[in-house]
Amino acid sequence: MTALLLGALGLTLSLVVPGLLARARWPDRAPVAAVLLWQSITLTAVLAALGVVLAAPEEVTRAAGSGQFAAEVTVIGALAVAAVIIVRLLLSLIGVSRRSRARRARHRLLVDLLDRAEQHRELGPDNLRILDGALPLAYCVPGREPRVVLSNGVLQVLDREQVDAVLAHEQTHLRHRHEVVMESFTAFYRAVPGPLRSRRPLDAVHLLLEMIADDVARRRVGAAPLRAALEQLSDAVPLADDVKPEADARGRRLARLSSSHKPSVVLNALVTAAAVGLLVLPTVILVVPWLDRALEEWPL
Amino acid sequence: MLGHMALGDLEREVMTQLWDAGEPLTVRQVHERLSRQRDLAYTTVMTVLDRLAKKGVVRQQKADRAYKYVPAQTREEMTASVMLDALTSSDDQDAALAYFVGQLPPDALAAAIEAAQKKR
Ligand SMILES: [Zn+2]
Repeated sequence: MTALLLGALGLTLSLVVPGLLARARWPDRAPVAAVLLWQSITLTAVLAALGVVLAAPEEVTRAAGSGQFAAEVTVIGALAVAAVIIVRLLLSLIGVSRRSRARRARHRLLVDLLDRAEQHRELGPDNLRILDGALPLAYCVPGREPRVVLSNGVLQVLDREQVDAVLAHEQTHLRHRHEVVMESFTAFYRAVPGPLRSRRPLDAVHLLLEMIADDVARRRVGAAPLRAALEQLSDAVPLADDVKPEADARGRRLARLSSSHKPSVVLNALVTAAAVGLLVLPTVILVVPWLDRALEEWPL
Repeated sequence: MLGHMALGDLEREVMTQLWDAGEPLTVRQVHERLSRQRDLAYTTVMTVLDRLAKKGVVRQQKADRAYKYVPAQTREEMTASVMLDALTSSDDQDAALAYFVGQLPPDALAAAIEAAQKKR
């Protein structure tokens, strides 16, 4: 019974909930809590899968009244499968963070060499790098020695206030270590077997992190310059038809930066509570009673 | 040994000299050019060029008895490849960098970079 319930929970969390949550618009008003909820959903789905792997064989052998030897073999098999799942996740995480780190290091080296330092002495931050080129481009290179990179095109298209808005946005990604969140979701995405993979959590969390950075930048410089910067740079970097989610994301970010938008304290509290509850309750309700029973009867 | 100057700044200035020269330079030539603005040890310049060569951004050429150094890419080429790297998306790269406005599909990107470089 435990295995069935955990299986149902895991399938709901990995197949049904992400679609609903990705389509919902309320996360726009509580992006921090929504990221927490995505993390909780993903982690709970993994734990549920592990729970099924461990509980199902034990429950089946017990129901069938199998002998000592069959029970031992089943338990060892179950532990082996669970170990494979955990190792696969860990290897994926190590791989993603190692490759990201190498790419960032190379990228940082090149932007340091290409930097037009003389163009941004008055703009402030030490970690800012300016690239030649009229294509407006603004991004950051996270890590222990982070960089914010702007192309010369950005300085031509935006005024000083708007540049400050972009810098505040990028520095938020760096200060809040958003790359760690993205790395963990990317690692999870890659660890899931092909047919079951979904980019939904990855894309949704990415957009939420943009909103969080927008919120900090808005508090620092006001919504108007940030909105203007976003519009200017979106116009300058045309999107092809096949990146509709990206265009949709821009629309949502712009809509939040209009005056009517208010982040909701109540919503934040509710969603945070839901995220914690989702992680804790299944363990308490399902796993603990099963573990009690199983430990009494397991042959180990 | 590098005195008050940060290594990163020095690497950038050496690269700039090589790019501006438009021809392979010896350590002595690079040293001469940099020494116009400041006091700098010859060995320091040698060390920096060696580091840049190890990182693959500068190539060493044997000419007569001296080594000459030349950038592996022109400034424009390196800028374009950095932008390409920054804007290209793939599963693995999602986590590596963060953007103000999103990423482009590769062909649109190549076109955008080319168009933007012409506009200058
Ligand atoms: Zn961003």
